[in-house]
Amino acid sequence: MEVLSLIGNGFLVALTPLNIGLLLMGCFVGTLLGALPGLGPVNGVAVLIPLTFAFGFDPTSSLILLCAVYFGCMYGGRISSILLNIPGDEPAIMTTLDGYPMAVQGQAANALAISGVASFVGATIAVIGLSLFAPVLARAAIHFGPADYFALYILAFATIGGIAGVDPRKTLLSAAIGLMLATVGIDPISGVPRYTMDNFHLYDGIQPIIALVGLFAISEILLLLEKSAKDRPKAIKVDRWMPQWSAIWPTRWAMLRGSGVGFVAGVLPGAGASLGSFMAYVFEKQKSNGKGTFGKGDPRGVAAPEAGNNAAAGGALIPMLSLGVPGSGTTAVLLAMLISLNVQPGPLLFERQPDLVWGLVASLYLANIALLVLNLPMIGIFTRLMMTPTWALMPVVAAITFVGVYGISNSIFDLELMVFFGVLGYIMRKLDISLVPLVLGLLLGGDMERNLRRAMSISDGDWSILIASPISISLYVLTIGFLALSVWLAVRDHKQSKAERLTEG
Amino acid sequence: MSGLSVRLFGAAVFAIAALYTLQSQTYQITFGDVLGPSVFPLIVGIPMMILSASLVIFPTGEVEWPGKDRLWRQAVALAAFVGYTMVMEELGFPIATAILIAVVGIVMGGAPWRAIALGAVFGPGLWALFDQVLGLPLDFLGTLFG
Repeated sequence: MEVLSLIGNGFLVALTPLNIGLLLMGCFVGTLLGALPGLGPVNGVAVLIPLTFAFGFDPTSSLILLCAVYFGCMYGGRISSILLNIPGDEPAIMTTLDGYPMAVQGQAANALAISGVASFVGATIAVIGLSLFAPVLARAAIHFGPADYFALYILAFATIGGIAGVDPRKTLLSAAIGLMLATVGIDPISGVPRYTMDNFHLYDGIQPIIALVGLFAISEILLLLEKSAKDRPKAIKVDRWMPQWSAIWPTRWAMLRGSGVGFVAGVLPGAGASLGSFMAYVFEKQKSNGKGTFGKGDPRGVAAPEAGNNAAAGGALIPMLSLGVPGSGTTAVLLAMLISLNVQPGPLLFERQPDLVWGLVASLYLANIALLVLNLPMIGIFTRLMMTPTWALMPVVAAITFVGVYGISNSIFDLELMVFFGVLGYIMRKLDISLVPLVLGLLLGGDMERNLRRAMSISDGDWSILIASPISISLYVLTIGFLALSVWLAVRDHKQSKAERLTEG
Repeated sequence: MSGLSVRLFGAAVFAIAALYTLQSQTYQITFGDVLGPSVFPLIVGIPMMILSASLVIFPTGEVEWPGKDRLWRQAVALAAFVGYTMVMEELGFPIATAILIAVVGIVMGGAPWRAIALGAVFGPGLWALFDQVLGLPLDFLGTLFG
């Protein structure tokens, strides 16, 4: 029952006027960002980070705001999936499969309500899981020594790309680029400036926030410019917004199953919300597609992936907070903010700053309630705002990113750096190279090097310390197993596509 | 030739990784830390060279670059971004931002007069929001206008 009193204290932190205000604002902005096609959770959070920075909120308030945005995006993504057949963000792709057909059949109100309730169920289950498991994991991680942390970081880089499809070499290369960028600046241990090219702006190193705003937000604009703005479909007209409650109740098991699957997917490294919703949909389809109604507007096909992506989003916070190793793109961005505010997530966070951890947990409970209200009775607002044309939205977003980054340090050099990273991000995305490992490398590189050097100082230069503890050995075994699996899958896919090309040609 | 873009990217990263690895050997210290500042860059740089070299030899994935009609839009947007960083302090925030929004709005496919109107509203509007309401100091008039 210790957890209850901790959460109780958390509510005291969360229920200050500033934090409630930020929470409501975050929920609203998040739902809107999720609903607007083109702006997903990573971009949304990346754009807002410099602003929280510039306004000088304390870490707890900043984290509450950004997590509310993060959760809000997960709720909002479904709106455009259902009404436009365009996912508002990546995790909402699966919701188009059954959500849009439902809307076409005149069931838009029901589809929106089912997905709203499913989001609430998934996110709430994930927050309960977060309250229960994160402290346990943190307590276990207290026993990690420097060599074990080094092994944990290696595991994080090996797994961040996920198992699905992409060439694992590209993922690892992206992580290596991030680690390389992390070594720029004055070496904190010896005081030697490295790779600064005698530019004094680089002596402090590359600010992860500036890099990731460029990588995600600026590259998104360049990517959007490839598409023609004219070919956007019209939204399905909705005559009545009141759902039938009798339509929601039969999907309860799909919601619970989806939440369970999504939560597990979220906690695992390298998965995140997209995999969570995918797995929840596939699982539910296998379970209940007896009559072949999935893909043609089955309400359970809306409930499961929505519960799944929200549960995964919450689950992904667990490794980020308790180990300091994020499991997804958005949590990597949140980690960047915490590190920039001098908060080091990890096992000690739970002991040193319980206010931050439990204030956040309490806020997430509140955010779910606020989001349920925003997403059921007030859904009409978002469907109207969602139709803001891209040509009007993106320039303003661009201007806000420039202000935000400039606001951090009043430095033109930072803006130039951001544009540079925007171009780099665009090229890498075109080449199908994930940006998340790069961000993770840039974020964790400094710590990874420090832990390695600390371990080597302890052993006085004996490399065998890296595999001296059972913790690090098991982490390396996991890493090797994971890499072997992803290489095997990549080779198999490669062969398959070659075979397909041969049979087609 | 298939995978040319990936090969080129791999070659560029290989060159950078090689320079990075070489350069690390100049960071030597004589006392204190056992490992020193040069070993971690080696641990990063050498696998990076191997990975990028393997992408040059065995590239994967096809890339479709945008056609000319799209490429110029990206070039203009990029020029607007870079231009913004150069003239922001001279022109002051509202004017520079209005131009940025208008240019990006036009290349995104908005009607020119609408994009200009958008910039005219949001340039000063964002300044008022951030500088006046939220207390983030931004220059109203740049050095050019005193």
